[in-house]
Amino acid sequence: MFEDLWLRVRRSLLAAQGSDGGLGPRAGLPSEPEPTALAAIALDDAQARSWLAANQRADGSFTLVGGPVVNDSATGLASVALGPGTAAERAIDHLVGMVAARVPDDPRVPHDPDRRGWAWTEGTFGWVEPTARALLGLRLRRPDDLDAIGQAIEMLRDREVSTGGWNHGNPVAFGVDLPAYGQTTALALVAMHGLDPSMERRGIEALQRLWKLERSGSLTLATSAAALRLHGAPEWVGPARELDARFARMPEDVVTLCWAAIAVGPGLDVLREPS
Amino acid sequence: MSPVSRRTFLLGGAAAVASAAAALRLGSVGGGPTEWDSSAFPPPGLARVAVLRASGYDGGLERIVEDGLRAIGAEVRGASVLLKPNLVEFEAGTPINTDPRLVAATVLALRSLGAAAVTVGEGPGHRRDTEYVLTRSGFDDALKSVAAPFVDLNTDAIVERRLHSRFTTLERLWLPRSVVDADLVISMPKMKTHHWAGATLSLKNCFGCVPGRVYGWPKNALHFAGLEQAIVDVAAAVRADLAIVDGIVGMEGNGPITGTGVASGVLVFGNDPVATDTIAATLMGIEPSRLGYLDLAARFLGQGDRARIRTEGEEVDGEVVRFDLLPEFAYLRA
Repeated sequence: MFEDLWLRVRRSLLAAQGSDGGLGPRAGLPSEPEPTALAAIALDDAQARSWLAANQRADGSFTLVGGPVVNDSATGLASVALGPGTAAERAIDHLVGMVAARVPDDPRVPHDPDRRGWAWTEGTFGWVEPTARALLGLRLRRPDDLDAIGQAIEMLRDREVSTGGWNHGNPVAFGVDLPAYGQTTALALVAMHGLDPSMERRGIEALQRLWKLERSGSLTLATSAAALRLHGAPEWVGPARELDARFARMPEDVVTLCWAAIAVGPGLDVLREPS
Repeated sequence: MSPVSRRTFLLGGAAAVASAAAALRLGSVGGGPTEWDSSAFPPPGLARVAVLRASGYDGGLERIVEDGLRAIGAEVRGASVLLKPNLVEFEAGTPINTDPRLVAATVLALRSLGAAAVTVGEGPGHRRDTEYVLTRSGFDDALKSVAAPFVDLNTDAIVERRLHSRFTTLERLWLPRSVVDADLVISMPKMKTHHWAGATLSLKNCFGCVPGRVYGWPKNALHFAGLEQAIVDVAAAVRADLAIVDGIVGMEGNGPITGTGVASGVLVFGNDPVATDTIAATLMGIEPSRLGYLDLAARFLGQGDRARIRTEGEEVDGEVVRFDLLPEFAYLRA
């Protein structure tokens, strides 16, 4: 199913791959950790893995750095992309030692300050997407670290919105219940697959609503298809069909292409727990 | 800022780093720590701001925008222009974003005034799926109707620039190539209250210029650096040349996302974003100097002295619509 879409997406990603083996956020841009890690997962691509191996920092992380701002949020994805081994171990060591900052609870944006999760940039507040990436790396590359895995799950439980699913951050702000988003809900579901059945069930129900509401976004469709397929929900073909129909007008966004490839290709199996 | 000086400021940043320490005269605030490079920010002169009435978004906007740009002496002929609207989120019936019809009208007005190229760019900070926000908000259709290209600043090529102000410890900032290369950047915010900063106008709107793939969704690294200070540092790095504030329908109360629409019926044009925000805040019933970031910015980035802001169009004091403020921002009230 979706063989043609898989071939087209694969071709686009290979065309976007730089001579250094990595991929940037768009074709022709310098390689960066997130698109390269996702492409390595999607395509099982040795060159992309080589780029990652060559660009791992001494502390095990994979980063974009701007002055004192260090975005290490691709480290979990890179650990998955690299496969088991020393490099992935170092990446997980970094993750375990780099949880998000503890921010005191604030009644305007209530949260449990002890459920910190992981941040986009080192030393800042935890958010859903980087926590999902960290959780994915932890569960696949260090499944025995139940403390760290539990910390990620508890953070996601703390941020779950009242109708199920997740946005980027808090479920409530300034007294207003905030909605979940398709893309962030999908990523959280990909990461927690099999770890918390009741939270997953609520998330899947939410995602089945959300992707239809947000179907005009290709990234939402791609991540939704991946999450629903990973969870065995037959409805995954809905967003995949929409992606197929609109492939020619999708934005020039390598991350979106990668998630589309993961959704319909063999890369999804990389995200499954080894049996 | 003229197209030439804008390019000198932004494109020359990298080369300037090596010799900066010895060469720069340093600004200071009341004898306090040095917070900006005086040589990068000459003292602001007389600013021009125009307040023009606009009753709605359908019909006649192109002409009003042309009038507004002429009133502030905007020189756009031959320039490549980047329009930076506020495009954050979509919620049906809620005026979160700069109205796409105003942005489309501005594209046409700029072309009519001789702009060589007009691009619309934004890096949404609330949603990672820019395509979703672009289509649901009506931007996609509006921009297609005037054949204007859109660039997602979250995935654009990026250039690292040293900051010439130091209200945060950010030191350096990644900016999209589309922002750096434009001859003119026009900040086009929605006139809104903001539950962290008090109000969001053309300076705060510059947050959308920094790429989410570096700073996150939301761009929490900026908030963590100190929101008001980061607003100033980012605005001083982006250095928008002009501002057009969409106050036809603004947002009051719990802005910038879940507030309530308020019809102010005005557009505010300015050749200095600090001056523009000063007038726009006044129109919202806010005392501008009580907005912390605006007070900081008025020290070096632009003109905050009402006596040195020449206003055109409507009488400012006659157009004030007092926006509802969250209780914690009652101190902002003029």
